Amino acid sequence: MADASVQSSRSRDLDKLLLRPGNLVGPRFEPGPEMRDDLQTYARVLVVGAGGLGCELLKDLALSGFRNLEVIDMDRIEVTNLNRQFLFRLEDVGKPKAEVASKRVMERISGVNIVPHFCRIEDKDISFYNDFNIIALGLDSIEARSYINSVACSFLEYDSDNNPREETIKPMVDGGTEGFKGHARVIMPGITPCFECTIWLFPPQVKFPLCTLAETPRTAAHCIEYAHLIKWNEVHGGVAFDPDNPQHMKWVYDEAVKRAELFGIPGVTYSLTQGVVKNIIPAIASTNAIISAACALETLKIATECSKTLSNYLTYNGAEGLHTKVTEFERDKDCLVCGPGVLIEVDPSVTLQKFIDLLEEHPKLRLSRVSVTHRGKNLYMQAPPVLEEMTRSNLSLTLFELMGKLSKDVVNVNGTTTKNDQKISCLRKLSVVFKGIDGVTDMDTAGGA
Amino acid sequence: MIKLFKVKEKQRELAENASGGAPVKKQTAGELRLHKVNFKPPLDFLLDMTRDISELNLPKSCTMQFPNGKDDLMNFEVSIRPDEGYYLGGTFLFSFQVSPIYPHEAPKVKCKTKVYHPNIDLEGNVCLNILREDWKPVLNINTVIYGLYHLFTEPNYEDPLNHDAAAVLRENPKMFESNVRRAMAGGYVGQTFFPRCM
Amino acid sequence: MAEPKVKYDRQLRIWGEQGQTALEKSSICLLNCGPTGSETLKNLVLGGVGSITVVDGSKIEEGDLGNNFMVDESSIGQSKAKCVCAFLQELNDAVKAKFIEEYPEELIETNPSFFSQFTLVVATQLVEDSMIKLDRICREANVMLILARSYGLTGFVRISLKEHAVIESKPEHFLDDLRLNNPWPELKSFAEGFDLNVQDPVVHKHIPYVIILVKMADEWAKSHGGALPSTREEKKEFKELIKARMVGQDEDNYKEAIEASFKVFAPKGISSDLQQIINDNCIEADSNSSDFWLLVAALKEFIAHEGGGETPLEGSIPDMTSSTEQYVNLQNIYQAKAEADFVAIERLVRSLLKKVGRDSNSIPKTMIKSFCKNARKLKVCRYRLIEDEFNSPNLPELQKYLTDEDYSTAVGIYILLRAVDRFAANYNSFPGQFDSAMDEDVPRLKSTAVGLLSDLGCNGATLAEDLINEMCRFGAAELHAVAALVGGIASQEIIKKLHYLGSSQLITRQFVPMSGTFIFNGIDHKSQLLSL
Repeated sequence: MADASVQSSRSRDLDKLLLRPGNLVGPRFEPGPEMRDDLQTYARVLVVGAGGLGCELLKDLALSGFRNLEVIDMDRIEVTNLNRQFLFRLEDVGKPKAEVASKRVMERISGVNIVPHFCRIEDKDISFYNDFNIIALGLDSIEARSYINSVACSFLEYDSDNNPREETIKPMVDGGTEGFKGHARVIMPGITPCFECTIWLFPPQVKFPLCTLAETPRTAAHCIEYAHLIKWNEVHGGVAFDPDNPQHMKWVYDEAVKRAELFGIPGVTYSLTQGVVKNIIPAIASTNAIISAACALETLKIATECSKTLSNYLTYNGAEGLHTKVTEFERDKDCLVCGPGVLIEVDPSVTLQKFIDLLEEHPKLRLSRVSVTHRGKNLYMQAPPVLEEMTRSNLSLTLFELMGKLSKDVVNVNGTTTKNDQKISCLRKLSVVFKGIDGVTDMDTAGGA
Repeated sequence: MIKLFKVKEKQRELAENASGGAPVKKQTAGELRLHKVNFKPPLDFLLDMTRDISELNLPKSCTMQFPNGKDDLMNFEVSIRPDEGYYLGGTFLFSFQVSPIYPHEAPKVKCKTKVYHPNIDLEGNVCLNILREDWKPVLNINTVIYGLYHLFTEPNYEDPLNHDAAAVLRENPKMFESNVRRAMAGGYVGQTFFPRCM
Repeated sequence: MAEPKVKYDRQLRIWGEQGQTALEKSSICLLNCGPTGSETLKNLVLGGVGSITVVDGSKIEEGDLGNNFMVDESSIGQSKAKCVCAFLQELNDAVKAKFIEEYPEELIETNPSFFSQFTLVVATQLVEDSMIKLDRICREANVMLILARSYGLTGFVRISLKEHAVIESKPEHFLDDLRLNNPWPELKSFAEGFDLNVQDPVVHKHIPYVIILVKMADEWAKSHGGALPSTREEKKEFKELIKARMVGQDEDNYKEAIEASFKVFAPKGISSDLQQIINDNCIEADSNSSDFWLLVAALKEFIAHEGGGETPLEGSIPDMTSSTEQYVNLQNIYQAKAEADFVAIERLVRSLLKKVGRDSNSIPKTMIKSFCKNARKLKVCRYRLIEDEFNSPNLPELQKYLTDEDYSTAVGIYILLRAVDRFAANYNSFPGQFDSAMDEDVPRLKSTAVGLLSDLGCNGATLAEDLINEMCRFGAAELHAVAALVGGIASQEIIKKLHYLGSSQLITRQFVPMSGTFIFNGIDHKSQLLSL
């Protein structure tokens, strides 16, 4: 064996991919030991969620050449996690997922450093997220995905030709599973559709009409939801229902059974009650493994360009036979989250009122009845009267001051515009730049924080 | 992109060294910008809500309150004063709770005023199709408020949440009318006491 | 305190207690415990299979630490099978975990009867010659075999088994069995008890849509010589007629009726898939027939006689706008008919059993019941012997794949995955396994692949140069992420298989496994199933 030294190396297999030139690779793929070492030294990946997908992702990334990983999860380990979250043992129940998962992976793979964060994703300062090169999402809720997506897209900046500036792109890989089905996708903000561009991919949850629950229940789920949504409040008044309190759950179950008996409806079980009330999504190890591995592989490809990348949405369905499909979704050019918005240059002395007037005259906008929002703060609201009153005093202040004296930032405006002689409502993203203000000048005021 | 990651990391190290090795966060313009104020990301649902609220075109007799101030549009109250029908003269307060995935999900609406009404139960649950099974992301807060308003001008006994009230409306509209009057003036209907809401 | 039930809650919601029992009764043998094999077993151990036996003769090298989570630094030089087995045991103490330190290739050669003790054998990273031999052994012993391989950014998963009949296939989009196009007398007379012109609006908006459609279809048939709407215009007109019966804007039951009116237009009788199953030549009932095929024989008779061209009724109805009382009554009508059909099938099954000389009670009631309930969804999967596929693949399909843009990369990977084994047999190493031979390996692999193609009957067919080059670049590397993905798919298919095998009880035969060969394309994820 001529290459004994290579064969015995820990990166024996990965080296084939990272050290050798290839034909089906990204444009900036530079194979060699430096690439492998840089991956270990400089690539920083955040894994969001340490559950079914997160556990797999941490293992897969740690064995794909990444050494700087962090993981964030607010949950503690539960018994029902153990059929798939392979980093956890029975004796870990009750401990924070992020901490146990990090420890287990570091124990087995030397050289890997994983920093756990046992908290909510909203608890972290937005700058926390900017420290990572890639964010890998192993989540089970639309809310959390939407939040991380907004954070990642908020770093995105466009140049004067409305092309995304590469150094501001925060790539994300996102996985999701349900039973035998799952998806993996790659989001390059500004280049491929962001989560918000394709939010319609998530079907709304089925909700039963309350009057059906109250008057004409027909299924076991109707009886359960009656007990959960109507009867609970009737009997317990101010006590909020807590799905994690076993006594509460038992009460709902007992009530549902009574109601089902009354109407002659079969099928109420404790397990179904939990399923309906907590909206439990079935989950198995294999699907999580498949989807996470696809995400980890794409993370490696984004970082190294060692192969083509998934473009841009993979669905996997093993429920009936085996089906996989890649769909290339398109960006929503006017997306409020990842779109470039309309660039507006104004003088720092411009008042909010003057700014609103400018939008009416602006050839690309021609907006009237404008309301202005800046990062969750309503600077001016046209309606209803109570909010108009509360925000009216801002009109005489300068926009520069209202926006926290930033050299540039995004504001969102909405108002009405005229299109084909029809008045239409219009919500726009504006990229406001203040003339003559240099963002770095106030370094001294920020450094000491 | 590894080259880019490397450049970023080097800049970061450089900045750290410059500040005497103290582990300060990055020093790029963008970074400073984010540090200065503890910003929220511009969340899509907030924008949708801002749009919805700023474009509200309420029935004349409806007013809104924002108990948490001008920047929390996700929790608010709406007072409805029907100007015709059984409930003329009453004022009914509704609380709205909007989810972070609005408009993907309907707002949660409860009636805070105890009311004798076939489609609103004594706990304040409201049976309105667009709040549950028929919600679609194209609908908005305005549609919901109009829907609520209509419940007062046209209560219906076909989709009851308050079974007794529905039965009375169906069997004996005159008696229903007098029950509503008694409840709104503050009084008992059967065993149930209703505080005054006129 | 934590009973196993709670631990398995999230999967019990998919396959239920019986499915879980099937898993717990199974014994699995893994050949080669590199990352592909280890990751496959990991998912099965977590799910709670009965026992596992890990077979691998190799010792742990430093290179294994870089792609296999189940080995660690302290066990370098020790048995890989032992180390992987110990880790897997840690994951679930309910699973019996064993290991055998031996090379699978040797076991296949020297001890073929070894494999007959298992429910299922999962063989990873085997070369062609061993795969063919093992397949023959398993087919003869009637042991299910799953083959999986990771190779650079590619891989495959292939199932091998004579036949797999699925009863509870749980398809996602399957029309409910309401018989609105062919109502039986009891349903008709139940519908007659309703008046669509009823004055009470509350009653009117709570007539179940099933009743509305049965009545409207009946009305239509009376004025159309017994026929149901069939042309586009007629269907449209039928919907308009329903709409005209609405008295309020918000009558959900009528909206549901309009939406479901296609169920009236659906053709009567059984699907072509089911037709194919009842015409299968396995159906000739004799004493060797499996329970499944005896049941199918009874079904065929039922369809021809009692059923009047239809399967036994499923008996369940979807939720629909209705008063509780009428909904429950309607449910009872459907259940009574399903019960009557079941009794008829049971009688046929019992007499068939007698006829072939078996105990007439040897197929339990519960199984017949499940069979009746799922009669419309029966599925039979058959798999070719690997050897047959390798020597004489379905040529028209192969040629189609080679020229079809959607398949050409996948079939290229398929051919190259076979070519690398031929290459290894000739040159004693895989193409690109050593850096020093890269330059000569590319043309060698190319000519090996071209040779293979022409052996298969595809003269003149070529593969993309880029792909051949990439295959050499991969140099037989087993990348962890690819192994986890391929192993994940293998384990998912195994789970589906185990539901078939776990017991002689057909009731747990749920989920349809894949057919053909799954080719994993990790380059752009455009993976494909090939039927060759």
